[in-house]
Amino acid sequence: MVLCFAFFYVPIIITMIFSFNSSKSFANFTGFSLRWYESLINDSEILSAVGVSVSVAVIATVVSTILGTITAIGLSKSRKILKEWVLNINNIPIMSPDIVTAIGLMILFTSVKLEKGYFTMLLAHICFCTPYVITSVYPKVRSVDVNIANAAMDLGATPFQALTKVIVPMIKPGIYAGMLLAFTMSIDDFVISYFVSGNGVENISMIVYNATKRINPTINALSTVVIMTIFVVVFAVKIAPVIAKQQWFRRLSVKIPLAVKRVFLFASCAAVVFSLIQFGGIYRGGTTKTLKVYNAGEYIDESLLELFEEQFDCKVIYETFDSNESMYTKVMSGEKYDIIIPSDYMIERLAKEDFLQPVDKSLLDNFDNVIPAILNQPFDPENQYSIPYFWGNVGILYDSTVVRESDLEAGWEILRNPDYKDNIYMYDSERDSFMIALKALGYSLNTTDKSELDRAYEWLSEQKRLVNPVYVGDDVIDNMVSGYKAMAVVYSGDAAYIMSENENMRFYAPECGTNLWIDGMVITKDCKNTALAHDWIDFMLEDENAAVNTEMVGYSSPVEAVYTEISQTVYEGNEAYVPRQDNPKDEYFRYQDPEIKKYSAELWTKVKTQ
Amino acid sequence: MNTSMKPLIELKNITKTFDDQQILKGVSLNIYEKEFLTLLGPSGCGKTTTLRIIAGFDEADDGDLLFDGIEISKLPPYKREVNTVFQKYALFPHLNVFDNIAFGLNIKKTEKSVVQQEVEKMLRLVGLSGFENRDVTSLSGGQQQRVAIARALINKPKVLLLDEPLGALDAKLRKEMQFELKKIQQEVGITFIYVTHDQEEALSMSDTVVVMNDGYIQQIGSPTDVYNEPENRFVAQFIGESNIIEGKMIRDCLVFFDDFEFECVDKGFKDNEEIDVVLRPEDIDIVEPQCAKLQGVVSSIVFKGVHYEILVETKYRNYLIHTTDYHEVGRAVGLTFGPEDIHVMWKSF
Repeated sequence: MVLCFAFFYVPIIITMIFSFNSSKSFANFTGFSLRWYESLINDSEILSAVGVSVSVAVIATVVSTILGTITAIGLSKSRKILKEWVLNINNIPIMSPDIVTAIGLMILFTSVKLEKGYFTMLLAHICFCTPYVITSVYPKVRSVDVNIANAAMDLGATPFQALTKVIVPMIKPGIYAGMLLAFTMSIDDFVISYFVSGNGVENISMIVYNATKRINPTINALSTVVIMTIFVVVFAVKIAPVIAKQQWFRRLSVKIPLAVKRVFLFASCAAVVFSLIQFGGIYRGGTTKTLKVYNAGEYIDESLLELFEEQFDCKVIYETFDSNESMYTKVMSGEKYDIIIPSDYMIERLAKEDFLQPVDKSLLDNFDNVIPAILNQPFDPENQYSIPYFWGNVGILYDSTVVRESDLEAGWEILRNPDYKDNIYMYDSERDSFMIALKALGYSLNTTDKSELDRAYEWLSEQKRLVNPVYVGDDVIDNMVSGYKAMAVVYSGDAAYIMSENENMRFYAPECGTNLWIDGMVITKDCKNTALAHDWIDFMLEDENAAVNTEMVGYSSPVEAVYTEISQTVYEGNEAYVPRQDNPKDEYFRYQDPEIKKYSAELWTKVKTQ
Repeated sequence: MNTSMKPLIELKNITKTFDDQQILKGVSLNIYEKEFLTLLGPSGCGKTTTLRIIAGFDEADDGDLLFDGIEISKLPPYKREVNTVFQKYALFPHLNVFDNIAFGLNIKKTEKSVVQQEVEKMLRLVGLSGFENRDVTSLSGGQQQRVAIARALINKPKVLLLDEPLGALDAKLRKEMQFELKKIQQEVGITFIYVTHDQEEALSMSDTVVVMNDGYIQQIGSPTDVYNEPENRFVAQFIGESNIIEGKMIRDCLVFFDDFEFECVDKGFKDNEEIDVVLRPEDIDIVEPQCAKLQGVVSSIVFKGVHYEILVETKYRNYLIHTTDYHEVGRAVGLTFGPEDIHVMWKSF
């Protein structure tokens, strides 16, 4: 049992401990500090997400509790066949995966042309919470003697009085259980919220999810606050009845129900006010110019958003995605944005599918500032559709105290050097891993030759046998900051950040070629205010803004003057910030033919499971 | 009952169907002030439905329901001057004894001090003084029953409806409560409409017994009437034990059954009409064979406490006899009864 509890609580306790860490690391506790709580209080994005989460949860809980209770009561009075059917139907949404509900709701909202945002999120939450209330209230209603309501009416109560004075008090435990369920369901929902929200309305889960790209201990602080809140609530719910039974408390407790009622009323009012503000925000949004931007998570200095709003007297609705693929799904589902910032191969795909508007470079005063070497690339010749936002390459980050310089001459082959067995991180990504193997073998990373892919597969499975690498995601960043392993495949921008945190780390891109990448700003076909969209692109290319952005994010700026300046100041001597631009063997990813994509995905699964 | 009085409640040809099944097939009944009226019948006979229609929980499909001469069929229960004591009490478990009883007054927003006074009065009436703060779920069945009665009576209804209120109690407690209910009824002086399937309960408490079966009223009368002069085979069988014998009315005051003619006191039948004869077991005497027309042999004898229950096998049937004398099994006996012991009924359909 102890083990079991340890299993439950260790992760939570660790989160709480690291929320007090003075450094950014999740691995080393460097000292006690409240800086993450401070940044939590100052982070307007997180605070507004908390507001959204809590207000949606409170309103959804109240509405679904009322709806569910009425349904449960009505149900108990209806015919048996109807009852059974309704209960079974009621179970379907509870048992079916969230993602199904989420997509269903998303399609519904899109098809009835309901603008996605706070209101749709609220509706969705009411919708998925109600079945839980019905399930927990119904058995209680069933257990009430059928004559109870009759008895109340017999004694002079109207049907409504019978409901409020007798039935509801009797089924209170069920209602409370339903409320609690609904509230927890609502407050920690991610999947459904993610699909049905829009217009920059995000709840806590969505913020946390999109923030995992970068280590952000503010999230720990937030989690700690949430956990403490839950702890207090659970404590109150469990302990209150025990205390209430005590004699001394009874004498005091006459006024307590009133106080509870007031707190509840206050919470509801606050939630309603908050939601009204949200609606108000949308309303105001309709009267002024708005720009909807869709970017990867943790990929901008958010002060720039406010600055842009000020300068151009408009409102920016800023939303984030976690991968190009999920962005694509959301956009294809009918979500409308003005500006999106995808990667090279995705830009090619969106352009091919006629989703983008050409960029009018004559409207961009700062276009000439862009580094010429990263323009006019095969995925978007002449930069017809995209303007670089950040760029970089992929290379090997290594611990110079462990890895011998001489071994590096082997290029990508160093990743198969048995001396570093169990000491290597690889990206858990089929395309990045195949890129390494293909380049090590001297092929193009955009090859469509299946025999070359087969050879790459052999290279990778041999690697797994020889060095047994660990396949990781964005957690590689923190692990390498902590120096857990000798080597890791990382993006240059992440490498630049890791090196700024851990001075033992070095970065190098093998001579036999690597993947160059560019994330570019594109204007969608849905964009009406193209002038404002161009203003945005131009704004991001302005020296000062580009400098702020690159400093915060750590990726290489496309603006030549900024790039040069930063590489000589902030990131001086940081080879990862200055990806090479002159190796003819370096390539950009192109949009992959679906058949090749499927073929290599299968091979990659085989590598990982061998 | 004094039938010259105006009835308090009138049911006129009430019908009711549930799920294609006709529960009431035309019930007409007058109920008077201060009357203790019992609806008696086997389960499914429609007695509870009749009660629920009077209370307003169910609405009749057809027919009239008059209260003090005013049609009340459409009146919701909370506007009727009747209160109900339910089969399983239907007390409110989230309220204590005091609040349960005070419920009706609190709904009417009665002043606190009045409520206090009234509840205390009711508790005294049902013998539960001092139980105010008890949890109703902690009470015994009999105590819960008293709370239910107090809760109903505090509203000062003109009629109290009781739906098998003693059904859940054990035999001894039931007897006590019967007595107590009657006492309460006399004290408060209002009409009680009492539903039960227990004929003994019905006979011992009621002013009027209404025997029901299969959606019809079979007989309305005083306990002695329905016992001594059942109108048909069903009533005779349901109320007490009886020997029912098919026979023929030769003419007024002469009836024929089991090969013999017997003198009786019944009149008004057609000559030679097929009828049923009721002989109550305690009305038959066992005598020496030569002193009686009917002869038979004792086939069983069971001691019942106050009396023996004897079965005598005759040519056509077994007769059930209650007597305080002992007769050995196998003994040949004769059976006699006087003219006033014979009760002739219309043949039931």
